[in-house]
Amino acid sequence: MTKNFLKLFFTMTMLLSVMFICADQTPLQAVKDTISIASEPDYPPYCFVDENGEAAGFSIDLFLSAAKAAGLDVNIKIGIWEQIKQDLAEGKVDALPFVGRTPERENLYDFTMPYLSLHGAVFVLKGTKDINSLNDLKEKSIVLMKGDNAEEFVRRENISDNIVTTATFEEAFITLANGEYDAVITQRVMGIELLKKIGIKNIIPLDFHIPQYRQDFCFAVQKGDMQLLNRLNEGLSIVIANDTFENIRNKWFGPSIKEKISFSHILRYLLFILIPVLIIIAVGNIFLLRREVRNKTRVLNNEIIQHKSTLKDLKINEEKYHGMIMNLLEGFYSVTLDGILIDYNNEFTNILNLEPDNDYTGKNLPDFWQNPKEREIYVNEILQNGIIKNYEIKAKKADGAEIVVMVNSRIIKDNTGNPIRIEGTFLDVTERKHALEELQKMKDKLENTVAKRTAQLQEKVEKLSKSEKAMLYIIEDLNNITAELHEERRKLVDSNEELEAFAYSVSHDLRAPLRAIDGFGKFLFNDYAEKLDAEGKRFINVIRTNAAKMDKLILDLLNLSRIFRSDIAKTEVDMGAVAESIYLEIADDQEKKQFKMKIKEIPNAFCDITLIKQVWQNLISNSLKYSSKSEIKKIEIGATENKKEIIYYIKDHGVGFDNKYIDKLFKVFQRLHKEDEFEGTGVGLAIVKRIIKRHGGKVWAEGKVDEGATFYFSLPKQENPGD
Amino acid sequence: MDNLSDIEILLVEDNPNDAEMALRALKQNNLSNEVLIVGDGEEALDYLYSRGKYADKCPDHHPKIILLDLKLPKVDGKEVLRILKNDPEKKIIPVIVLTSSQEESDILETYTLGVNSYIVKPVDFDNFVDAVREIGLYWLLLNQQF
Repeated sequence: MTKNFLKLFFTMTMLLSVMFICADQTPLQAVKDTISIASEPDYPPYCFVDENGEAAGFSIDLFLSAAKAAGLDVNIKIGIWEQIKQDLAEGKVDALPFVGRTPERENLYDFTMPYLSLHGAVFVLKGTKDINSLNDLKEKSIVLMKGDNAEEFVRRENISDNIVTTATFEEAFITLANGEYDAVITQRVMGIELLKKIGIKNIIPLDFHIPQYRQDFCFAVQKGDMQLLNRLNEGLSIVIANDTFENIRNKWFGPSIKEKISFSHILRYLLFILIPVLIIIAVGNIFLLRREVRNKTRVLNNEIIQHKSTLKDLKINEEKYHGMIMNLLEGFYSVTLDGILIDYNNEFTNILNLEPDNDYTGKNLPDFWQNPKEREIYVNEILQNGIIKNYEIKAKKADGAEIVVMVNSRIIKDNTGNPIRIEGTFLDVTERKHALEELQKMKDKLENTVAKRTAQLQEKVEKLSKSEKAMLYIIEDLNNITAELHEERRKLVDSNEELEAFAYSVSHDLRAPLRAIDGFGKFLFNDYAEKLDAEGKRFINVIRTNAAKMDKLILDLLNLSRIFRSDIAKTEVDMGAVAESIYLEIADDQEKKQFKMKIKEIPNAFCDITLIKQVWQNLISNSLKYSSKSEIKKIEIGATENKKEIIYYIKDHGVGFDNKYIDKLFKVFQRLHKEDEFEGTGVGLAIVKRIIKRHGGKVWAEGKVDEGATFYFSLPKQENPGD
Repeated sequence: MDNLSDIEILLVEDNPNDAEMALRALKQNNLSNEVLIVGDGEEALDYLYSRGKYADKCPDHHPKIILLDLKLPKVDGKEVLRILKNDPEKKIIPVIVLTSSQEESDILETYTLGVNSYIVKPVDFDNFVDAVREIGLYWLLLNQQF
């Protein structure tokens, strides 16, 4: 009864606990319910292939039971260790039932809790005497299964440099049995089992222990497959907690091999053994109960130890975090909803300028808020949202200085979800805020300036636009004027052409009759001289003289018109030399004797040499002519200059002129002297004026009757030599 | 003048007064024996090329000099000059241009056309006689050497 009760109790407990675990971990239901695993062919009695070609062994049974307890169906395939290890890493299978946990493998797989610990052993040929410790293996050749944890161990611990690997341990043992190598290292139990199975008898495990090669065996899943891992752990826990694990263990490692029991045997058992058995069961139940109690006590002890360790870890962590908080660069605080300080850090006191040595916990900081009403708003907001981010508070330091702090806080709730305190960090952003305000001010100012400048520019643009319009009008006017000028120029060209034609006509047609008058007058005089008296001859003379005079007038006029028409070719002219050569050319010998000609140093002029020669010729011949009757026969040529022009003059001491007639001087055909006083046509000075005017200069004169005259003409200086 | 082939001087002048004066000036210089006066350029060319009313003239005969007025009816003096000076046979005949004025453009143009000399017809007849003597004699004598 007790046992039944106990079993019932256990079954119920396990059932409840499984239900609880399943209920608590609902996401596990989502994992697929059929998984595939892979097993090795020759790792007895853990994993191997039985006579039917099926995977068998302790680990296989255990895995299947655990999987079943966790609600999983399992497909098993067989492969050599190296291959199935690879398959799991690549996800071709979901789990392996029998994997020794090593540091190397923890990078590749996740492991369930260990269900078995095995020790390794060194296997050698019987009679081997020189291997008594691991150190003796240094010079020996060791044969191992490739990828087995024994290989990892041998390589990790540098046991030997001479390592050979085979695909299976069977192969390894066979080569060892053939004397090809010195030793095999593998799990003791497995090695013995395997040797038995393959019938090798000349190989034995050595007695010494290999403490470094104690192997914890687990189920392995792909790295990160936490869901499957959890379910396998859960299944494993279940089969360990009920008798399944024990049964499996007994099956594979139990002292006796179970016999096949027939029905009659059972009856016999029932008849002969029932009562003793019942007694034994009763005793056994007591024994079992004790064992269960012992087991539970052990489990509880473990849990207590674990709990203590967790508490210790928690305490360490808490200290660590508190330390971090204390040294935060932001102020940290924890307050009750009423504002009573529970905790704070160094920066908190720094920012608020509190006494670092005072303890403010349990106290209120009533002066913290510049405006206590803001606190209500703040608390309401944080209560409503649970969290508050980058919240600016106008606060006061302990010394009353006003600052702005930026707060990040959250509500801390108790188990029942009631808010109990506020925790958060804050920064003094007063300077940042001021800088931002400054920046904003500067920005505003700049915008202001920009606006002003823009307005000014706009104004200027408008003005410019007005001037542009004005300019356009001017250009239009200019265009009109240019067009008019073109028209005038065309007219001028026309009239010049007409003038030229006129002059040509004058020079030819007007002179022909004069020639006839003169010529035939001459013929009359010659051919009829004897028929003419003195008076008749005088008449002929008058006719011929007048003809000659008219010819001169015509020539002078032609000359003048040529000046109107001709182009001016300016060059630099040595005026002194020109004046002198003209004088020497036109003065006759007598004049040269009589006159005192003085030509001063005068500057060169920039003018048309042919025309300027005509000027000097007319002026010098005038001076000679009008001095011919005067006592003082002296002519002076000189010049003065200013910035813009050179003024040449010619001064004589001749008859001079009355200044009141000065207007007439330079007009064509205008004379101030009678013909019989001084010969002349009245064209010479007009020509001079014309020439100087065409050079951009001016002509004027000063004179006094009987005292002489001075004629001036100016020529502009060469503005740009080379033009 | 009966024999066109005796003509030594060809005077081309449309103004009869000027022509008479020129003739007189030549006469005074004893050069007037074989002078032919023609009134326009076309007649001058007819004579020189033995055409029209001068068709009977021996084509090979050339006057010793030509006195050529520039202002002429029909074909003007410059055209006559241009034709003569472009004719290899006729261009050796000295041509003296008679002109009323010293208008530079006229004189320059005749020189480029190949004129040998020119006389400005002065109003004073005495000066004209002098000029004809100087230039006319020079070219007549020069031409006789050929």
